[in-house]
Amino acid sequence: MNLRRWLAGGALALVMALGALVGSASFRAEEVSILMPSSFTDASADLVKAFNREHRGRIHLKLIRGPLNTESISDLAISSLLLGDAPFDALLMDVTWLPKYAAAGWLEPLDPWFDPGDEEQLVQGARLGNNYDGHLYRWPLVADVGLLYWRTDLMDQPPTTPDALVNIAGQLVQSQAVANGFVWQGRQYEGLSCDFLEVLQGFGGDWMDTTTNTMELDTPAATAAAGWLNDLIRKGVSPYAVTNYAEAESLQAFKAGDAALMRNWPYAWAELQKDDSKVKGNVGIGLMVAQPGERPGATLGSWGLSLMRQSEHQKAAVEAIRYLTSESAQRARFLNNGYTPIQADLFNDPEMLKASPVLPDLLVALNHAVVRPPTPLYAQLSDVVQRELNGLFTDAESADEAMATSQQRSQTLLRAAGATP
Amino acid sequence: MTMLLAAPALLLIAVVFGWPMLRYAWLSFHADSVLTGLEPVANGGANWLRLVADQRFWLDAGQTARFALISVGLELLLAMAIALLLHQRWRGRGAVRALTLLPWALPTTMMALGWRWIFNTPYGPIEVLVRSLGLNSLDLLSTPSITWLVTVFADVWKTTPFITLILLAGLQSIPEDLYSAFRLEGGTPLQGLRRVTLPLLLPYILLSLLFRLAQAFGVFDLVQVLTGGGPAGSTESIALYAYLNGMRFLDFGYSATVMLAGFLLLTALILAGTLLLRSCGLLRPLDR
Amino acid sequence: MTLQLRAINKRFGKRQVLNQLCLDVANGECVALLGASGCGKSTALRLIAGLDHPDQGSIRINGAEMVDVPAERRRVGMVFQSYALFPHLNVWENLELGLRMRGGTAGARDERIRSVLEVLQLSGQARQRPSQLSGGQRQRVALARALLRDPLVYLLDEPMSNLDAQLREDLRPQLRRLMIGGEQPVVYVTHDQQEAMALADRIAVMREGCIEQIGTPRELYLQPASTYVAQFIGRPQMNLLRAKDGVITGIRPDDLRLDSAGSPCTILSREWFGANQMLLVRCDRGDLRLVCPGETEIEAEPRVSWPSASEHHFDAVSGRRLPSD
Repeated sequence: MNLRRWLAGGALALVMALGALVGSASFRAEEVSILMPSSFTDASADLVKAFNREHRGRIHLKLIRGPLNTESISDLAISSLLLGDAPFDALLMDVTWLPKYAAAGWLEPLDPWFDPGDEEQLVQGARLGNNYDGHLYRWPLVADVGLLYWRTDLMDQPPTTPDALVNIAGQLVQSQAVANGFVWQGRQYEGLSCDFLEVLQGFGGDWMDTTTNTMELDTPAATAAAGWLNDLIRKGVSPYAVTNYAEAESLQAFKAGDAALMRNWPYAWAELQKDDSKVKGNVGIGLMVAQPGERPGATLGSWGLSLMRQSEHQKAAVEAIRYLTSESAQRARFLNNGYTPIQADLFNDPEMLKASPVLPDLLVALNHAVVRPPTPLYAQLSDVVQRELNGLFTDAESADEAMATSQQRSQTLLRAAGATP
Repeated sequence: MTMLLAAPALLLIAVVFGWPMLRYAWLSFHADSVLTGLEPVANGGANWLRLVADQRFWLDAGQTARFALISVGLELLLAMAIALLLHQRWRGRGAVRALTLLPWALPTTMMALGWRWIFNTPYGPIEVLVRSLGLNSLDLLSTPSITWLVTVFADVWKTTPFITLILLAGLQSIPEDLYSAFRLEGGTPLQGLRRVTLPLLLPYILLSLLFRLAQAFGVFDLVQVLTGGGPAGSTESIALYAYLNGMRFLDFGYSATVMLAGFLLLTALILAGTLLLRSCGLLRPLDR
Repeated sequence: MTLQLRAINKRFGKRQVLNQLCLDVANGECVALLGASGCGKSTALRLIAGLDHPDQGSIRINGAEMVDVPAERRRVGMVFQSYALFPHLNVWENLELGLRMRGGTAGARDERIRSVLEVLQLSGQARQRPSQLSGGQRQRVALARALLRDPLVYLLDEPMSNLDAQLREDLRPQLRRLMIGGEQPVVYVTHDQQEAMALADRIAVMREGCIEQIGTPRELYLQPASTYVAQFIGRPQMNLLRAKDGVITGIRPDDLRLDSAGSPCTILSREWFGANQMLLVRCDRGDLRLVCPGETEIEAEPRVSWPSASEHHFDAVSGRRLPSD
């Protein structure tokens, strides 16, 4: 009575029959395919060519060009995985998908193929978000953390505390030096959760304790963090429009010279250095602010490659994963496409530093990486927080209320899912 | 014999509609999520109990009904006016008729993307216009009390042509002689609209109403692209909630429950509407 | 003279539908507008009713100019070819609608509807929808509605062309009893010459927006003003011989007779109707239709002749009747 199994069975039989046909015909190279968002397939075209040249007759690597949007590619991957026999051997995964996919049983542990020595080479931020339930399920391709962009022509130093940020940005707006103070991601979507996590960390709070499945959203720190974000809008430090901003809109505003500070990911740097940018050469990179004595946080983004449990070419697929994440691949991807490397020593590499002066700042941020709660239920929990926070900004709720509701709804969810007794 | 002839159609309905329905019904009494390793495990009525207590579902149901009733109502009024206009003879009518249909021919996602850009703050054309007039920013897509109206607007823009088309077909099915006879009986053209056009158009009105209500109640792509259900969940529809539960949260048991509950609510809504119309005697022209 | 049309012009786009049309219909008189489709007869009716507006000309009812009076205030009773009954109303409601709009007490309304239903033998169908009625019943409802209008003029637009021959014959006496020959002038549009001859006091044969000839059925039959009229009036059609010296000779089929001294012919076809029969024969003057009594024995090669007094003469170019000498 299980549709997936039926379909999987049918597909498997078909594949086996075809395999027998093909196998009898000739020695064929093992076909390995990996599904990635289009931006990554495009950036990897040369690497794939090189890989296939080196492995001629043995492995043939093919990248499946998926949609650019994170949610769209997740939908595509999940749809094909639900049908039982996904047409790819490996998948480029966002950090938040991992617990969900691992719990669903779709991923094959990578522990047999990677040893602790491999992991030691990684920069701190790249070591996070790859494990679930004691197993390694993902090998990072690019590192990615949230950053605070600041205008070097408007301030000497980026603010490091919440109060300083409000003061500096507020004054700049008041003196009409710039239209908006601080732009970030306030839209009801995953980006808001990322922004919130950084601020939460800076206020000394925590989202949840995943070892005991306890939510910590109604703590004074969490409420203060939410209240501070809300005040940014109320006090005019951030425009009301941030309540509908995603990354693209924030970048658009900052690039047009309409903002003094921006929270965004590393990719924005290259965009801001283009010729159509009004702030070219006037941008610095720093960390999200934190209360005195608290450690600032940088939400871990990052994409990595996972091996599918149902892959019939696991060994070959791992070979491809290793190749695509190798030092030379990282170097090429950084120099050609601006993707942040994962290997620690590359951050001190003269050739790399020549290409980008902000590499050391990225390293600092990566060392402050924080992960979103690594639970299979993360999507639900994040959805609750997005909804409540966006409600706080747009509906004139109080931060106390919003966070109390977040706490209560999250707990209800955990209970309904059977995650807590 | 009749049954035999209808059998292929019934079979098709059973396969494309009945079977998924039964499957949803079955699934709604199971836990089937990442936590069960995506294997269905019977959990009694836990999903339904959760649904009854799920404020978000009821909020979404209310929002969905509000969206459906108001958009379809506006569409009907607007479509009626346009259809009456297009039914008159005037120069260039053919070209205008074709143009009127354009919004309907556009894929919803493309249309929604377009509106999302047009309404965006601060770079959308509307916002630029408003500020050039020295007015305050409208924040159309980030104000819970307004954004749902934007979704209504987009839906009205897109599907009014569809109703117009149905009503126009209805208008053309009314013989000219009836209007002549009515005038000779002493009625003015305006009275004719109420006493001849409307009653004879009623079957077409009800048809489009039924069709559009069902469609609007299942609104998904428009909301998903235009607002993503925000701000603060104020535009989230039942279909979007079901989708989130299934594709994002991988909780198929609850997703099926939400979907089925939405379907039951829609059925109830239409049933209530039918009874109301019947009690007003409005359904008589259909009882021939 | 209670209905007067004077120099009416009407054009639809490039087509001149009515061209200087004039018509007088007296009180109680029934004039049939007869002609092929497209000759303008229905347009004339719609203009009288006020459903269309003439480009030029005058329409008077009882002496009052009507051209600028809207249809709803003209007081004409019209019966449509399609009957134009409201499908969403039952028979009673169909009849009541106009009375209601025109005012009056409910009691008086009910009384009038009841009596008209009685007269038209529709009392049993009062609560039925038009779709539940037979063709004849619908037709009678349409008549009833026109009667209840209390009109100054009756306009009948091919009222019986959707009925079978039997029903038409049954309905003619009813029409005559209820509408024709009363106070009001009646304009009756038809393309059926037999119906026109049976019902009308005068027939106006129309062609290309003009009246080709108007007169009593007898005048039209005996003195057709043109070959067009000659062929429209009288069945079987008048025989028109090939033109000779610019003159077309016409002979009615009833005026032909079998005559051993006549011209020789061959029989092309024969239709036997009981009381009479029609032969189509070929002789040196052309093909001729001939009507003779049903029991007449027909030889294989008959000879036919006709009295020259029964000949009609027409101009071969204009088709106009030539004065008999």
